[in-house]
Amino acid sequence: MIEQIREKTVAPDVDFSKAREMGRYLTEPPTMYVGAPGKHGYLRLGFELDKEGKSILRDLDRRHPLIVQQELYFDEEMPELPCVYILSSGGPNVDGDRYQQDITVKKDALAWVSTGAATKLAEMKWNYSGLVQNIVLEENAYLEFMPEPVYPCRHTRFISDTRLCVDKTATVFYSEIFMGGRKYFGEGELFEYDILSVCSHGERPDGEQLFREKFVIDPQIENPRNLGVMGKFDVFANVLVMTPPENADKIYERTSAFLDKERMLAAGITRLPNDAGLLYKVLGMEPGPVKKLVREFCSTVRQVVKGHPVPPEFPWR
Amino acid sequence: MSENDKMLSVMRLLQFTDSTFPVGTFSFSNGLETASFENIVTDAPTLEAFVRSQARQAAFSDGVVAIHVHRAFLKGDYDRVAELDRYLLMFKMNAEARLMISRMGKKLAELAVKLFDTPMIARWLKDIKGGIVPGTYPVAQGLTFAAAGVGERELFCSHQYGIVNMVLSAALRCVKVSHYDTQLILEKLADEVSALYEEASQMMPEDMNAFYPELDILASLHEKGNMRMFMN
Repeated sequence: MIEQIREKTVAPDVDFSKAREMGRYLTEPPTMYVGAPGKHGYLRLGFELDKEGKSILRDLDRRHPLIVQQELYFDEEMPELPCVYILSSGGPNVDGDRYQQDITVKKDALAWVSTGAATKLAEMKWNYSGLVQNIVLEENAYLEFMPEPVYPCRHTRFISDTRLCVDKTATVFYSEIFMGGRKYFGEGELFEYDILSVCSHGERPDGEQLFREKFVIDPQIENPRNLGVMGKFDVFANVLVMTPPENADKIYERTSAFLDKERMLAAGITRLPNDAGLLYKVLGMEPGPVKKLVREFCSTVRQVVKGHPVPPEFPWR
Repeated sequence: MSENDKMLSVMRLLQFTDSTFPVGTFSFSNGLETASFENIVTDAPTLEAFVRSQARQAAFSDGVVAIHVHRAFLKGDYDRVAELDRYLLMFKMNAEARLMISRMGKKLAELAVKLFDTPMIARWLKDIKGGIVPGTYPVAQGLTFAAAGVGERELFCSHQYGIVNMVLSAALRCVKVSHYDTQLILEKLADEVSALYEEASQMMPEDMNAFYPELDILASLHEKGNMRMFMN
């Protein structure tokens, strides 16, 4: 039996001091201070092949409130795929939380990572909640990162920065789903958050920068209901797929762009700059149909890259 | 600036902003064709909302880069110009938009080397042809305006006018609106330009941002579809 590495490292600083848009939200909360134990979550997941060539979660380090359990092999179409759920013992992300998640998939290894439940971003009064992610894929590695949706509440302030460092032979499927808010809470809470700032950027291991996508949604400055922004839609999914160009061409061909006014569902696909891969976006009214489209798109990616579909979602998810 | 210089500056501004300035703005609709086909843009109010989103999106990406290029030209910092050019392309998530800004950028660079005898523009055009830089339009605009002695604010106005007028000109061909409607929209959006400049002029390239998923999906429908009144 191979032992898991559990080397403790000092949880890195999560620093968003350069983010201009968060400059208004820098008051120290009178509750637990910014970055206090329990509010400074850290997670390091390292997947690699064992001696038999099986992908395993070899490296794991964590600081509460972030928790992962051991890897499970429940994917019926790819039983060789280690699957890990990220959980947060603290409930929602609160004022002054700073989290970092580092995921590495080594040469030829596979991994699937999701969250156990939707990520709730609580109401904030003084500061904000920040998340840094480093996702690193070595040669021919494969990762599906498909978390449950993110729910911002009234006066939520959230910023994330995700670095995808991916070898040109590897494939990462990185999805995010953002709800407009707690739609059915009280009178309804759509787009009543203070700010969401989400940045994802792709690069090669040699440092070559490939793309950078950043959205800052500040409903006080620009109404997300404006035509061209969210319009009449409530839910938004963004999927980045970094994969070699020959895969990207096939996935692009097999994926349709559409706008269905009856079902109020729309999807679009385009190519990322510098031959980095593809960008898929979905708009809808409820999380279910949006999650379904994201999953179907993941299935297309998996079929092209690994020759297997994604199995149907569990009925309780 | 003397009165003569001011007049010259206005003349240059008019020249570079005119829709007949040969950079090919007329060929693109920025997704309007699809928005019209899908009945999302059907009349003057929806057209105004569509154009406003396009203008804001451009202000906080293309506009920011154009301003920084203008500043870099005045400092004689070519490396910064090349860096900004690559950075903007990396930020353009939509394949059609990348094609558009690269085509227009090269056209303007070819024109600018004839208009101004400046080594920096000549070097930039050489690097475009050599595949060293992508040659994006906002970079070309920043260089051209700086070389002509036209200021940063005027550059930003021209950049905004270019986007708005490009979409409105296309609207006359694919949306049921009149010339009166489009001129009223142009007049209304002009009021919003100074606020956009105040924000954009303080942003660093890393602050560039865009959240227009509905526009992105419309652009994708155009990219994948077979409507071809305008270029893809």
